[in-house]
Amino acid sequence: MAHYSSPMTLNYPSSVDPNKKYSAIPEGLRGVPERDEEKCIGCEACARVCTGMATKIFDNESEAKRLVQIFLFRCTFCQHCVDECPTEALKMSKKFEVATGSRDDPANYVDTTLDLLRCANCGHTFYPKKYVDKANELLLQKINPLVKDVVVADFKKVQDYCPSCRRAFAYKYDTHTKKHVWLEGP
Amino acid sequence: MGIMDKARIYSPWLYHLHCGGCNGCDIETLAALDPRWDPERFGIQLVASPRHADILIATGCVPKQFIPMVKRVYEQVPEPKVVVAIGGCACGGSLFYNEDPDNYAILGSPDLLIPVDVYVPGCAPKPEAIINGIVQGILKLAAKKKAAAPTQKS
Repeated sequence: MAHYSSPMTLNYPSSVDPNKKYSAIPEGLRGVPERDEEKCIGCEACARVCTGMATKIFDNESEAKRLVQIFLFRCTFCQHCVDECPTEALKMSKKFEVATGSRDDPANYVDTTLDLLRCANCGHTFYPKKYVDKANELLLQKINPLVKDVVVADFKKVQDYCPSCRRAFAYKYDTHTKKHVWLEGP
Repeated sequence: MGIMDKARIYSPWLYHLHCGGCNGCDIETLAALDPRWDPERFGIQLVASPRHADILIATGCVPKQFIPMVKRVYEQVPEPKVVVAIGGCACGGSLFYNEDPDNYAILGSPDLLIPVDVYVPGCAPKPEAIINGIVQGILKLAAKKKAAAPTQKS
């Protein structure tokens, strides 16, 4: 029957179709990572686990913007950032034809821009707004109901200040981080 | 455009320059040239000498000892020529990339030494992606021929 079997050469430009038997896109192919701009909170988890320094964070102090960027020339498509993302904003797409003619081509970059908060006291930028909202949401999920009111009231006092200013004002606003432990008692 | 130039575009010959690295991209490049994908239907063929080649395929990051060889091989390829960098190391340094380049052994990507026309990122790229990059290189080769055509008479 060998004489009647189909030819083994894959016609590459037409074999990209995923429905074909010998497709160029197998199941579980790790292609270019894609980021959902709605879900990304700019938490730097992807930049910390990146093996080849492909993912980087650029903070613009004057415009209060944070740029989260994957440079595909250094990406090893290892999926670490996808596994680590807390909001599941990243996923590996099936796109693999990424050859480009120059380094500055926008197709080489996976960019997301986020708004940074500005400290009311010192004027420096700190966390992205979405990141603070997400942290607030997670905090209220598992909080002890005994201390919930105190923590929420304290957070409202300090939410406009950067971490170093929060530390400086902890005595003035009575917002020490261990305060709720003391309130609970032994 | 003379008949030699047309022949060069319709059958671009490759020379494979392994600059350094882990051999992953070299294995994938040779896999892309085998009968499974059969790029000889586009006239793409591997040759043993850079003097016969039209397209130079560079893989891997360049160690400092290999710098003169990369330059020499690039100069041996006859004009017009196209360089295709395959893999993350040859595109941007990948795992060997360093913010302050004080590495005693490794220089980085070959585009610090020679002009690269097409970049194929991936670690390692699929054989299909490599063929796609080489086809883009053929288009650049054709554009270079066209630009050089008024001065050439054959």
